[in-house]
Amino acid sequence: MVPFSLYVHWPYCTFLCRFCAFSKARVPAKGVEHERITSALLKELRTSLAPHKDKVLQSIYFGGGTPSLAQPRNIAQIIEAANSLVPLASDAEITLESNPTSAEVGKMRDFKQAGVTRYSIGIQTLDDRTLARMGRLHTGAEGLAAVDRARALFPGKVSFDMIFGFEGQTLDQWQKELETVLKHADNHISVYQLTVEPGTPLFRDRNAQRVVLPSGDLSAQMYESAVEMCTAKGFRHYEVSNYAVPGSESMHNMGYWQGRQWVGIGPSAHSRFIDPSSNQRISSARLPDIQRWAQHCEKFGHGTAKSTVISDEDAKQEAVVFGLRMLDGITDRRFAGVSGGQSLKDYLHMDRVQQYVDDGYLLWNSADAKLAPTERGLEVIDSILIDIVP
Amino acid sequence: MLQTRLSAAIRHTRIASFARQPRAIFAHQTTTHVQWQSYAVRVIDRKKETDISTYPPDLIRNFSIIAHIDHGKSTLADRLLELTGVISKTGKNKQVLDKLKVERERGITVKAQSASMFYEYNGKKYLMNLIDTPGHVDFSYEVSRSLAACQGTILLVDAAQGIQAQTVANFYLAFGEGLAVVPMLNKVDLPTAEPERAAQQIEGTFEIDASKILHMSAKTGLGVDAVLPSVIENMPPPLGSIDQPFKALLFDTWYDKYVGVVCLMAIKDGSIKKGDRIVSTHSKQKYEVTEVGIMHPEPSPTTSLQVGQVGYITCNMKSVSEAHVGDTFYRDKHPVEALPGFVPAKSMVFAGVFPIDADEFARLDESIQKLTLNDSSVSVHKETSAALGQGWRLGFLGTLHMDVFRQRLEEEYDASILITAPTVPYQIKYRDGTTRFIRTPADFPDIHTMQDNVESTMEPFVLATMIFPERYLGQMLELCTLHRGEIQNHVYIDEARVLLKCRLPMAEIVSDFFDKLKSKSQGFASFDYEESGYEASDLVKMEVLLNNEAVDALASVMHRSTSVVAGRDMAKRLREVIRRQLFDIIIQTAANGKIVARETVKQLRKNVTAKCYGGDITRKMKLLNKQKEGKKRMKKFGKVELPQEAFLTVMTKSE
Repeated sequence: MVPFSLYVHWPYCTFLCRFCAFSKARVPAKGVEHERITSALLKELRTSLAPHKDKVLQSIYFGGGTPSLAQPRNIAQIIEAANSLVPLASDAEITLESNPTSAEVGKMRDFKQAGVTRYSIGIQTLDDRTLARMGRLHTGAEGLAAVDRARALFPGKVSFDMIFGFEGQTLDQWQKELETVLKHADNHISVYQLTVEPGTPLFRDRNAQRVVLPSGDLSAQMYESAVEMCTAKGFRHYEVSNYAVPGSESMHNMGYWQGRQWVGIGPSAHSRFIDPSSNQRISSARLPDIQRWAQHCEKFGHGTAKSTVISDEDAKQEAVVFGLRMLDGITDRRFAGVSGGQSLKDYLHMDRVQQYVDDGYLLWNSADAKLAPTERGLEVIDSILIDIVP
Repeated sequence: MLQTRLSAAIRHTRIASFARQPRAIFAHQTTTHVQWQSYAVRVIDRKKETDISTYPPDLIRNFSIIAHIDHGKSTLADRLLELTGVISKTGKNKQVLDKLKVERERGITVKAQSASMFYEYNGKKYLMNLIDTPGHVDFSYEVSRSLAACQGTILLVDAAQGIQAQTVANFYLAFGEGLAVVPMLNKVDLPTAEPERAAQQIEGTFEIDASKILHMSAKTGLGVDAVLPSVIENMPPPLGSIDQPFKALLFDTWYDKYVGVVCLMAIKDGSIKKGDRIVSTHSKQKYEVTEVGIMHPEPSPTTSLQVGQVGYITCNMKSVSEAHVGDTFYRDKHPVEALPGFVPAKSMVFAGVFPIDADEFARLDESIQKLTLNDSSVSVHKETSAALGQGWRLGFLGTLHMDVFRQRLEEEYDASILITAPTVPYQIKYRDGTTRFIRTPADFPDIHTMQDNVESTMEPFVLATMIFPERYLGQMLELCTLHRGEIQNHVYIDEARVLLKCRLPMAEIVSDFFDKLKSKSQGFASFDYEESGYEASDLVKMEVLLNNEAVDALASVMHRSTSVVAGRDMAKRLREVIRRQLFDIIIQTAANGKIVARETVKQLRKNVTAKCYGGDITRKMKLLNKQKEGKKRMKKFGKVELPQEAFLTVMTKSE
């Protein structure tokens, strides 16, 4: 059976981080309309999952926003509704993102009860001043405490996010911070470089030179030390920003890089799937405005803003671009799923691939027809991709 | 006589500031194609031929207007055409004779145009031929050949600005041709106008009686009524006799896609009509005349053209290269003595032109051919660059000419091109007595040849004329010295304005001299120059090496004294524009093989996108394809990718 994924976007936050470019809104003064949002999500879920009944749900991911602000019973409703339409695999991964603030930590057990199997906590940094400056209402100590508590409830299924490259951060500070969090780590860590996304307050701050971020070379050193330190602790660097004890990789996120189909519900959520009626590859996005999205769900059963057909050529490009974000790379077997049988060798500029192999950036295993980046190659993969993809 | 005319004819100046003007888009543009399309219809309708045989030389005046840029030449031409009913007075006539889009946008005339007008004065009807001349000295070659068809010229001076460098140059150009020069003051109604002062300048500088100077405003029409009477009174009629055999001077030519080559001729003796057989003195080639006529201002057929008149002739000429400007034509079997001709236009600035996309070569080749059909002053040679592939080495009259050509290629032919740094025609004198011109830095002898075989390297010089308010004298002198200039003299043309003459290497004025002149004088200085021979000069070839490989398209020739500063500057600025790649890029500049500067673009360490999940896929793919497009526009040299900005760094200098 064809594996499938579900993404659920919970749009509210109690605080807005200055670097965040995701669609979100501050919790309204009169509180979140939990029932209305849930019922809109459920409507959209039924409309969107119904055509995929023959598939199997491999993963559900509650992202946001801050989904840990949702009521656990609403989360349970959504999981149950999904399962009733597309059966959950026995080993299905159901992740919920959470902030380490005390109110949310208190709900952890209830979320487990609701069916959540994996917990992902946004620590971001241990530096309290940076946390405050970025608009986050928790401390580094609270972050670590939340991880410890989650590990007790979800042993082996806890992940947390760290960010490096904040203003004023030194390599030494970053290494110390990472050393500390690694002591608390379970089986999965995500480590991101701070990215200045257009439209964020951080973007405006940087453009107005109110904020000066570390140089490219320093950021690269921070990235490299993360690779080194996490690897030394037995984590495998399986994707650009993700590390896992082998077997504990995020199944849901791997889906994005491996080209698995998924449906996203909630404001601004994206979907990518093959439409069973037309057999076309579809990419779609929901309305970003919470109110409009909810109204559309109530009226039409979904809040889709835009839906486009992905050409075979684009699908092939995506398969390579996203496949090469993983150190396991991409194989002909997986590529064949989108290429209609064309091999990587016939598709890529192989002369250039060979050059990158010779220079130590790529690995080409002709027996398995597998292309993968080396650690060094992964670091500069964006430059390599524009050369090798036709 | 011929010599004076030639040295005066080959003058060039740089008006680089034009290049910075925003490009206006004109909804309506008159192109020569439209013009001739309507003409092609008229060819069939023979009944419309006008008879102008009733105008003997004494009822004809052939005249031009010469002026400094923006002194109102084209506006005066519009008024005269309205006054004589050639064009209607709609108030919308703006620079009717400036037909090219680039001419209207930049407010300059590039191609000479002519227009015939009928005008009644003192009970007699006159045929007045206005031969419009380019207003910029890059095109003084065209000015001088247009002047050869005239007997007099209006020297138009802006009453607010007074005499400018180009006014002086134009005056001597016309004076040298033996023309009657009639000065007139324009824009006298402007609040800032100082007609008395401008008149004094004219009197003082050109020794012309100030009391005779006509005052007018071409814009409002004030005083314009007196212009044509003054032309009739003060300019002589053309010479020649109707009884002599036909003899005509070809002074301009262009290619029209409907009727082929069109020749503008001044008839010096006799007459000509359709069906006549004429011969070129230059090639001895015979042609049958298919049509004659006058520009009114569109081509209008006439029954004949005769002595003293100026008009167009079509005669089945296949290519513009057959039409030698300055050639004398005579009636078959009735040879005449040739008129003193012109020496072909001489290229003063050479630059490499390459398609940005190598696949565009064939199309660009065709575009350049078409464009040079109507601009024979551009010299064209094929060139191959290791860095840029196949292209051309084009020779221009000056940097404005180069810029106009580039703009026309881009706008009229939708070309995307890369132009290398301009080179002036240096000379290499060898010990064996031979001399070679350097059109491209690649022609410059290598270090061994320099040591063993080269006697001397020669640099072209110009004599520059600058006019500016006296308060800028100090800065102007400093500027000239900084650019290796040798001050000849300075004189006061009135109590507050100075005329400075300075000898400068031509290479200095093709870079940023004009920009600096304008900025240091807050726009008040005007500038003109004429060629002033060659001088031995210590020249070096400046090369740019990327990872130890010389990039031919980035090479330049310069004086040794400027090479160290320029070499460092170039390396530094290249470092700014070259993007980091997966390896270190060593940039070196070398003067005659000796390293002057070294910079490194460190290898790219990390550029992978940190976060890439479901919602990021579409954006990521868009970005990737944009980057791929950008990469296509890069020029690859070895493994090093050069952005187009790299080529600009060689063309300009930082402050």
